[in-house]
Amino acid sequence: MLPMSVPLIDYVALSSVIFFIGVAGVLVRRNPLIVLMSIELMFNAANLLFMAFARAWGNNAGHIFAFLVITVAAAEAAIGLAIVVTVFRTARHVDVDDVSLMKG
Amino acid sequence: MTVNVTSADWYALAPISIVAITALVVLLADLFAPKHVNRYLAIVLAVLGIVVAATDCKAAYAHDFAAFGGAFIVGGFSVVFQEIILIAALGSVVLYGAIGKDDRIAGAIALMLWSACGAMLMAGAGSLMTIFLGIELLSLALYCLCGLADRPTAREAAFKYLILSSVASGFMLYGMAMLFGASGSVALADLTNPVLASNPLLWIGGGLFLVGISFKLSLVPFHAWSPDVYEGAPLPVTAFMSVATKAGTLAVFARFVYAAMPSGVADRLLLPIWIVAGISMIAGNVGMLAQHDLKRLLAYSGIAQIGYMLAALAGGTALGMRYAIFYLAAYTFMNLGAFAIAALISDDAEQGSRLANYRGLAQKSPAAAALMTVFLLALAGLPPTAGFLGKILILSTTASAGYVWLGIALIVGTAISLYAYAKIIRAMYQRDEHAHTHAAHPFVPLAWASAIVCCVAVVVLTFVPPALRDVLPLVR
Repeated sequence: MLPMSVPLIDYVALSSVIFFIGVAGVLVRRNPLIVLMSIELMFNAANLLFMAFARAWGNNAGHIFAFLVITVAAAEAAIGLAIVVTVFRTARHVDVDDVSLMKG
Repeated sequence: MTVNVTSADWYALAPISIVAITALVVLLADLFAPKHVNRYLAIVLAVLGIVVAATDCKAAYAHDFAAFGGAFIVGGFSVVFQEIILIAALGSVVLYGAIGKDDRIAGAIALMLWSACGAMLMAGAGSLMTIFLGIELLSLALYCLCGLADRPTAREAAFKYLILSSVASGFMLYGMAMLFGASGSVALADLTNPVLASNPLLWIGGGLFLVGISFKLSLVPFHAWSPDVYEGAPLPVTAFMSVATKAGTLAVFARFVYAAMPSGVADRLLLPIWIVAGISMIAGNVGMLAQHDLKRLLAYSGIAQIGYMLAALAGGTALGMRYAIFYLAAYTFMNLGAFAIAALISDDAEQGSRLANYRGLAQKSPAAAALMTVFLLALAGLPPTAGFLGKILILSTTASAGYVWLGIALIVGTAISLYAYAKIIRAMYQRDEHAHTHAAHPFVPLAWASAIVCCVAVVVLTFVPPALRDVLPLVR
């Protein structure tokens, strides 16, 4: 492993905090846009972890993976927003609890 | 590490490229062709592309090759899964052609083909990056496909699938980051390093990765999405999704189990998965009992069926892998067949696929009732169908691998499921004065053809099980 000015464990701690903020956001918030943002937060927590480990191991694969994730997350956000628009077009206010025609 | 990319690497990707290009050609053809031929054109082009890809795919069966420095591994293992995915794509494209709306045919078929590309990528994925790319390609196309029908339930299905599946991808990605941190490499093969067995990153990362996999396979604690999404999505999309996501994810899971774990870790890390597989067999079949919609019923059935396939992998034997693949192939045909009949019976656009539509079916259409009976018997695992042979094979391998309790769960689950399937068969052969009249779809012969082909395959596979070569060495 390469020496790092900030210890690796700090990056891991920060990214896990971000990840769990994302998970909590998905579980707690009722606005579909905030839910989508929380999912992006989960993805970006993983990105941070990839970058930290790429630096620690001196392996560029982590950087490339992070770029890949950013690209995919952009595609996912585009499709996600399109679906949110089609679902909530006729609704007065947007709330994920209103999407319950079917009960699993 | 430097990777020299030669033409051989690109040839390894040829089947996937052919399918992807076919999707583009279908879209372009739809743009320029006159309105009245666009349905024929889309179906013919897509079927042609799939057949060419399947033929091309076969060539790699006996030639193992790790392309792009091991990021994509072709060989017996990947070829078998890719062929199954292509069969699923073929069946669903034909079904969409039979009952889909005119103005959406080309778009839906193109999305299905791209989705199939993602699943095929997963089948050969040898690195975390390829796995992620494959899963996202598969899922992103499916989100759009789910919302294609003109009813609120379809949009709801798309929304639920989008949110839940993205969260699962997030867990999986975070797990992958941890696995990368443990081994310092994105290659699955580097995870087998015995030094990693005591690394907490591998345990946490592996656990998160398996949570994502369990979600995509709709195993029990993470199964709640599948009945809703199956019910809401257009019928051919449900048919495709039920097979292709399972096939692609099962390939990733099998490679992870067989070729990406240091010795000693696998037994303990995977034990929760085997337990969950056992619970899925029981819970999936119990869930079937209360359903009034065929698509929901088949979703619960799928939860149980994936439990059976995972049971074959428990113990990590070469034979178990072959039996899991055999069962997956059998499941592909019986499931596609059941959906083909459902396409003939139900008016998908309006009332979905209510089981009430099947009452008195034998009077209206004896052939449809007979074919449906064969598929339901196969799903239940009764002879003379491939479902029976598959279950016997799985029972034999779980018993010899020391997972007798999984075998017991399989038998109990099957017993419960018999009631649910028999209820539909009885309803079909009841006399009913108000039997539902068929929705007149424009291209019904296509659905008939695929149902008959599936029926023949389900029966023939029982008596002539394909002599799968040992695909285990190719995984590594």
